[in-house]
Amino acid sequence: MLLRHSGFALALAIALGAHLAAQNAAAPRPAPPPVGGCPPVPAAFHTCALEKAKTFTPPRTRSGKPDLQGFWRGRLSQSFSVEGVRGDEPLVGSDVMPWEIAPPMVVDPPDGRIPYQPWAVPIGRIGVNYSQYLDPRTACGSGGVPRLALQDANQILQPDGDAFIVWLHEDHHVQRVIAMDGRPALGTAIKVTNGDSRGRWDGNTLVIDSNNFNGYNWFDDSGNFYTDNVHIVERLTMIDRDTIHYEVRVEDPKVYTRPWTLVWAQVREKEQGFELLEEACREGQRDLGELMRDGIKFYFDPPWRGR
Amino acid sequence: MRQGPTNVLLAVLLSLAATPAAAQAPALSRTSDGKPDLQGVWQVLNTAAWDIQDHAARLGVPAGQSVVVGNEIPYTPAALAKKRQNFESRATADPETKGYLPGVPRIMYMPYPFQIFQTPGQVVMVFEYDRGVRNIYTNGTQHPRGPLNWWLGDSRGRWEGDTLVVDVVYFTDETWLDRAGNFHSENLHLVERYTPAGPDHITYEVTVEDPNVFSRPWQMRMVLYRRKEPNVRVLEYDPGRLMDEAGAQRDK
Repeated sequence: MLLRHSGFALALAIALGAHLAAQNAAAPRPAPPPVGGCPPVPAAFHTCALEKAKTFTPPRTRSGKPDLQGFWRGRLSQSFSVEGVRGDEPLVGSDVMPWEIAPPMVVDPPDGRIPYQPWAVPIGRIGVNYSQYLDPRTACGSGGVPRLALQDANQILQPDGDAFIVWLHEDHHVQRVIAMDGRPALGTAIKVTNGDSRGRWDGNTLVIDSNNFNGYNWFDDSGNFYTDNVHIVERLTMIDRDTIHYEVRVEDPKVYTRPWTLVWAQVREKEQGFELLEEACREGQRDLGELMRDGIKFYFDPPWRGR
Repeated sequence: MRQGPTNVLLAVLLSLAATPAAAQAPALSRTSDGKPDLQGVWQVLNTAAWDIQDHAARLGVPAGQSVVVGNEIPYTPAALAKKRQNFESRATADPETKGYLPGVPRIMYMPYPFQIFQTPGQVVMVFEYDRGVRNIYTNGTQHPRGPLNWWLGDSRGRWEGDTLVVDVVYFTDETWLDRAGNFHSENLHLVERYTPAGPDHITYEVTVEDPNVFSRPWQMRMVLYRRKEPNVRVLEYDPGRLMDEAGAQRDK
């Protein structure tokens, strides 16, 4: 079970990655197929999917809500960097877990780059976070929002009564409970890993509004980050029966010059009898010794603290 | 034949006396598929997390009455010796001290709330302690082919009248039943019964079977209480993260 998951291998890659220079030219890869009838690149998918959503009528639950239930997997996504991976990135040629060339998932701003304030640039983007801190996910923490929806299998449930939506993620057995009943927000002193999430329907779109993050999570392997001040709004819209347009708007005036937006797809997992498995992490083989001896720190006193 | 008022009254009284469950039925709320609605935030109010058996107070441990039916656990002689050894070394040997998922049924009576969600084919339990999740499939599927070692086992449920009956197998031998060293092997097999007892209480019974450790099956029984505070939420207690964080503070 553990080997299927990349936590340990990721730790190795971080340890070794810094010492490995580009050695191999990136091999060209075949063009991926369309997703939901839209181009398989986040920015183009985004435009196309929003257009398709205007004419698609999603299936309904018994209570008449759009039915997003089922098993899903992230598509058009990768965990290396939400800003994409370019051919001249040294890790593309790495011998251990080489990165793959990929377009950005950032669709706004149009340049595909996170609009960091100047002080934050050297911390994210394979910077201070990457070189000095242990990836929180490698430490068996939650991947965080929205990273945990990048690739691993997940399940959306719309339990009876419509007071909550449950979003289960196989990655480190993470569960998100989204309150749909208009209840008040948590007090600001209560910080939680995956935020306090409250949802609503905007037409056929599930809108999840989250605050109260503890800021201990990254967007990706590159150490791109937010703080405990972040406000995240996710929008899930079905564009056909098997494809969700997943949009994430990130707002954190402590770190960015403006709000920005990520997009990728969730596609239905259709394997017969598919179920989420228990993915214990801390309970398994977790050897952080080498990393810690190299002076890599836990991401609990992050470099944005005090900003 | 016309009945006089006395006869009618008598008939009503008799029917009430004969079917107390039916008389309570309107209080039991149901899901859209007619099952008892167990949804909500629940928590035990007992000391089973410390010790599932009768025990006097110890420093930091409230005294408590057994949740084990009959109080005695039928350990084999070798297993009883192991239990006593576990108790002596519990400060470091208890898997809870490592921040691991606590296993089932232990996660049910940790002193933290959990929330139950129901769909027609799946009951989901979400735990504040260690972000635990139990997926209880009620869609007629069987346990997958083993062997599997899961920290919270594999749960398949069915409804027997108004009782949710859950069969759980495929455990590890690395979880305990409490902080007092009560334990099991990976051959643990549980049958849990969740029976609504009014709108705000669930009677939780679990039959524990493990021939490697116990000479016969035995039972625990306790009450789950609905958390009634407005806006009560299952928050987050992630023991592994908190241990790492405390360790990082010490090492600074």
